Amino acid sequence: MPFESVNGKVVRAHLGTGRTVLSRRGAMLGYQGEVAFRPVSGTGGGGVRGVVGAALAGESQPMMAATGSGSVLYGLRGLHVTVVDLDGRSPLLVEADRLLAHDADLQTSVQLIGSGGLRQAVRGAATGQGLFTTRVAGAGAVALLSHGGTFALPVRPGEVVVVDPQAYVASVGALSVELRARVGWRDAVGRGSGEAFQLQVTGSGTVHVQASENKL
Amino acid sequence: MDVLGPSTLPKGDNVNPYAFCVDLAGSWFIGRGAMIAYYGDVAFRAVTAYASADAYVAARFSSPAHVQDWVVAEGTGQVLLADRGFDVSSFDLDDGNLTVRATNLLGFAPTLALKQSIVPGFVTLLGTGTFLASSNGPVIFVEPPFRADPQALLGWADCPSPSIHHDAAWMAASLAGALRGALGRVSGEERQYDFTGAGTVLLQSSEVVREDPALLRVVEQQTEQLTDEQALVLAGRLRARVEQRRG
Repeated sequence: MPFESVNGKVVRAHLGTGRTVLSRRGAMLGYQGEVAFRPVSGTGGGGVRGVVGAALAGESQPMMAATGSGSVLYGLRGLHVTVVDLDGRSPLLVEADRLLAHDADLQTSVQLIGSGGLRQAVRGAATGQGLFTTRVAGAGAVALLSHGGTFALPVRPGEVVVVDPQAYVASVGALSVELRARVGWRDAVGRGSGEAFQLQVTGSGTVHVQASENKL
Repeated sequence: MDVLGPSTLPKGDNVNPYAFCVDLAGSWFIGRGAMIAYYGDVAFRAVTAYASADAYVAARFSSPAHVQDWVVAEGTGQVLLADRGFDVSSFDLDDGNLTVRATNLLGFAPTLALKQSIVPGFVTLLGTGTFLASSNGPVIFVEPPFRADPQALLGWADCPSPSIHHDAAWMAASLAGALRGALGRVSGEERQYDFTGAGTVLLQSSEVVREDPALLRVVEQQTEQLTDEQALVLAGRLRARVEQRRG
């Protein structure tokens, strides 16, 4: 059973029959029933390298697990919550700090985004878009945080969808996300629109975009 | 786009989810800073100015800790109230009681009486009448038995005041984790307000609570119970905590 939207900012997760939900620590608003919470370490399993990589990339959030029978309300700082259902075939890419809660049987790992090497890393730092991102795979539901809510843009093969790095929330499917710089002479003289960095998304799937340039 | 005027403003109703129009004919209690605009002949005066002179106001507003954060609006007209773009909801009490977070209460009719709650940071409204409260996202109503995160709690009605529930399993796990150095400081998950009995619990999606100027006064009142030695110990601990947080 996926997450149930209570309103745009809160989701309810029903526990029971072996369903465990992982959530960001501090995101539990309240619960009903016999529910036990325990802290777990952040995303980015995969041994020491995974942990080090996660720490380097900032892709690590303290998480907690909820088990038992009952229902739990999740929300964080009044941010909007979007529920994405994964069918098990397409993985989801998302920044760890946007991950509010997900089914515990989904696998999370830290993944390198793009393939631009050091230049890409420098650009990533410049836009605030991490070079590393969290990959969520398996079948189940994920609740994502955004500023002002999200909407989904479909990506079809042969098409390029260009997204502002600040507005990018997550992507689902067989997609390649690359950071491109498009610097014109106006940027060079400091009169640019600030749209010099863009994320180009190609492949087949969906991109979730927020209607705001506020990072979390 | 409709332009609203004195005759077209929704009277005693929400203008949009984030602003409410009070149709004033007489007096209303309004939280300091909640008024965004008004039409008509309305005077705003501090409650303190009334409480000394007007026994009626003093009887309705019996919380000295909150008195300096409130004004009385008096006259006739339309007063628009809002709070940081939060959702504003109106509640009608019918010979009831409702306790709400003091920083989320925007205004109330003088037919209600305001009292300071036992739980610090909250105030209780008693009687019959309308009041306005803001919430981060629409208000969520749940029924006890329910355990709520203290920061997400907006208020409660008709049920007994909450007790504090400590999650023993969480604390044991955190303690073990803290010893291993894997986990950071407490996140608040180990402590919840436990509601039992019949009634309604009001929740919002917020873990950031606005600074409540009255909370300091309420907590300070409670420290009167401490002996001098205990008070000095508390002062030292508070100082140490602030220094640790500031790094």
